[in-house]
Amino acid sequence: MKVSYQWLKEFADINETPQQLGTRLTNLGLAVDALESHADDSLFELDVATNRPDCLSHFGVAREVAAAYGAALKRPGFELQEGAKPASEVFSISIADPDLCARYCGRYISGVQIGPSPDWLKARLERLGVRSINNVADVTNYVMLELGQPLHAFDADTLEGQEIIVRRPQLDEKITTLDGVERALNPSMLVIADSHRPVALAGVMGGADTEISAATRNVLLESANFEPLCIRKTSRALGLTSEASYRFERGADIEMARYACDRAAALIQKVAGGTIFHGVIDVYPNRRKPVTAKLRRDRIKAFLGSPVEDAAVERIFERLGFKSTRTPEGWTVDVPSYRLDVTGEVDLLEEIARHHGFDKFPATLPKWGGHGAGLPTESAERRLRNQLAAAGYTEIVPMVFSDEAAERRFRPDIEPVRLINPMAEDEAILRTSQLPSMLRTIQWNLYRGVRDLQLYELGKIYRQGSERRSLILALTGALRRKNVHEPEREVNFFDLKGDVEDLLNVFTMALHSNGDHVLPYYHPGRALRDGSLVTLGELHPDCAAEYKFKRPVYIAEIDAEELLESRQARPIEAIPKFPSIRRDFSLILNHGARYADVERAIREVKVAELIKVEPFDRLEAGPFSETQYALAISLTYQSSERTLTDDEVENFDKVILDSLKQRLGAELRR
Amino acid sequence: MSSSDGIGRLQAIEQQFDTERVSVVDRKSLEDTRARYLSRKSGLLTLELQNLGKLPKDQRAEFGRVANEIKLKIEGALELLQSTIDQREKQEALAKDALDVSLPGNRRRVGHCHPLTIVRKEIEDIFISMGYTVEDGPEVETAYYNFDALNIPVTHPARDPRDTFYVTEDLLLRTHTSPVQVRTMEKMQPPIRIICPGRVFRRDAFDPTHSPMFHQVECLLVDEGITFADLKGTLERFHKQFFGEKTKTRLRPSFFPFVEPGAEVDVSCVFCDGSGCRVCKGTGWIEVMGAGMVHPNLYGYVNYDAEKYTGFAFGGGIERYTMLKYNINDLQLFFQNDMRFLEQF
Repeated sequence: MKVSYQWLKEFADINETPQQLGTRLTNLGLAVDALESHADDSLFELDVATNRPDCLSHFGVAREVAAAYGAALKRPGFELQEGAKPASEVFSISIADPDLCARYCGRYISGVQIGPSPDWLKARLERLGVRSINNVADVTNYVMLELGQPLHAFDADTLEGQEIIVRRPQLDEKITTLDGVERALNPSMLVIADSHRPVALAGVMGGADTEISAATRNVLLESANFEPLCIRKTSRALGLTSEASYRFERGADIEMARYACDRAAALIQKVAGGTIFHGVIDVYPNRRKPVTAKLRRDRIKAFLGSPVEDAAVERIFERLGFKSTRTPEGWTVDVPSYRLDVTGEVDLLEEIARHHGFDKFPATLPKWGGHGAGLPTESAERRLRNQLAAAGYTEIVPMVFSDEAAERRFRPDIEPVRLINPMAEDEAILRTSQLPSMLRTIQWNLYRGVRDLQLYELGKIYRQGSERRSLILALTGALRRKNVHEPEREVNFFDLKGDVEDLLNVFTMALHSNGDHVLPYYHPGRALRDGSLVTLGELHPDCAAEYKFKRPVYIAEIDAEELLESRQARPIEAIPKFPSIRRDFSLILNHGARYADVERAIREVKVAELIKVEPFDRLEAGPFSETQYALAISLTYQSSERTLTDDEVENFDKVILDSLKQRLGAELRR
Repeated sequence: MSSSDGIGRLQAIEQQFDTERVSVVDRKSLEDTRARYLSRKSGLLTLELQNLGKLPKDQRAEFGRVANEIKLKIEGALELLQSTIDQREKQEALAKDALDVSLPGNRRRVGHCHPLTIVRKEIEDIFISMGYTVEDGPEVETAYYNFDALNIPVTHPARDPRDTFYVTEDLLLRTHTSPVQVRTMEKMQPPIRIICPGRVFRRDAFDPTHSPMFHQVECLLVDEGITFADLKGTLERFHKQFFGEKTKTRLRPSFFPFVEPGAEVDVSCVFCDGSGCRVCKGTGWIEVMGAGMVHPNLYGYVNYDAEKYTGFAFGGGIERYTMLKYNINDLQLFFQNDMRFLEQF
């Protein structure tokens, strides 16, 4: 809200510069977002908290300022000159729904001359960003900015039946508001009606039919109090907000309604002439119940950290308009009608803290005998991140909003969490897997010329009713670019597989490829799955094409929760005392035999001294049949008890080679 | 033959060696020289010594002494020459193996942690060191935990579908990590001393200062005798630890439904140390958090005795802290995941 420095000075004596006042306002909780300087005035852009509608006016802000300075608060000066004829004789007002309108004050002014506002009025409004319309409409806006009470002026001659009824609209009723839009009404709203039809949307906007025009002679001035939630709902339902609705939905001061009505009537008479009929028609069916709150003296120190002297407490209350009475424990306080935010002791403590000054309280550290701790998976997460960083993977944090079609491509059967009100059509669900967001990230980088990518994300995936942490790795481009030291090296399936094996090894887990079926977005011949723990492989070329990838992209999807929650301790083995012996063999195998079969055939003979099996070469063509290939493997033997003899080792070799021959028909290549 | 003749010849050999030694420059000339003087068969000195027996007995000792002296001298000189040549050859071999060490190193690729993770861990570690326990909770949250139990009335604008993502009328994407506070308080009685870092959502369009998804960290402490002064002290300590010891913290009144008194928390500008610059708009202060004393109404929701316990809560955006720490001015960088940005961390 924009607030004028000069206008504030009309209500409170201010001896500080606008800059100094700005700091003070900020320290009172009225944050100054901007200070605008003009030759004759300064404007504060104030950020008024939603619980402080009492500060949505110059008078309200001045009350805080006067309290801070200890200055007197002056009300706007005006003289009300009423005619003899009572307003109640020409008009009647009734409230049919007092739950939504607790008070309605009206005044009747006849014989006004509608025209432009005087310069001072126009200038003040325009400076604060309010467009000048005509003298009467301008006065209603002026008094709202001055006192915080929204007002409305009707052309009284357009109101049928000489009456105002405040009521809920009927189902099929409509109104055309001042902005020229016809709006359908419903019974949860509230309207101001004459005897035939709605003439204003209560607390939000007036009707076009009854607005003040150049021809207006007689004015009915409204100063009312409406129920905040009703105004808010109406405003939201119609997508229509106004300065009035902004104030009413936060809560207006019900005791201000009548005073503001008088003030505005007097000002209308001053700028537009006319006769103010005698008396305010003040319908006030639900009188405000007095609010009292108690403050205990010892609570000040217990809650705020240091005591505040009684005299200082009472001074703060007095300046803010709270009537306090001392009791043995502290004070009983009458809360003024404009302070809707104050209902209990803690609210009073806040007032004391605010006006005594936050900076007056000491800064201490709470006493404590306990201990702190990270999440239960914290240390596992650290190990995981360290391993991935060491392996060259960079972490990404993508958006979790996604497009249902993009997600269905990878998780056709998962019902996603759908948003009622997404920001965009392609951000309407929460992702069901990490794939689309990872592939989009790869795309983003490729489009910007970053072609060698090694990425990971540890983040949540969502489905209806659950969310869980998941891990994805992606690898594409060159592992190393050609440089002065080395040739270029493209990444391949086994780079990714090795990284996954290393990662699982951190958690004392191993990767098993049991021929589990892999999902169709993987290359059918270049992917493997280990149950629910890991799926890894090359992205299917069709899928890569959909994302316009020219080079293979390798992906590993890992169940992070299974990994992070594994509590297997790694047994550390003693360093062997006796030497190991390595034997190399070149095997001729049929193409049907996979490496896993070879290793199984070797392991199945259970040579306890065999500590390592490692393939180190593979030939697809050579002096053997086309249906065969050559695989070079090394076997390493070691005993923890003695140095192995040549005879023993030769015997191991024989047993193993026999097994290979028997199970796989493997021949030794000489 | 007299010994003086013999000694004369020995001296001549010595002189000859002294002349010749300067031309010993490599291994070959060294070996030639060694052979010429000391060879067992034909060395000049060896031949002379063979004459020892022909000398009169009384002269043999003198001749022998001189001959041996010269032999030792020649041997010593040759040894020195040998080591000089060895040294030189070693140097030459090393020189041949020299690299252009000014070429860039062959660096292995290392991965980088996302800046938001780095900063979240850093914040967590500070609070863990101060005795706080890290808690987390669901991102798809009920309206009850996100709003009702936090004293946020049905009329509050934050509930508006323009500001909050809804899944159903009662289910939403949490707009702050505060629901974790309520869930934790439901689980246990005070003392409570927790921080809740996590992902939150608000319906803001993606721009340099807004994102529909971002991260927060919140802190909650409830115990007997906790005061507003403790809140100030804790915030001060945290910011000194995070931004540096000279950082000042300021609280000014504000409003959040779940705390009272509520405060905005400012830190002295990390870019100009509070003297005023473009980032802090000349004020010397930067807003970083919302804070306050836990509103007693919250204790009603979790059955705490509001007379016995008091507490404080505060929370801020991890993106904001990261931007201040690394002087980043565009929030979008965190979620675009451009390698050229990420590899700087």
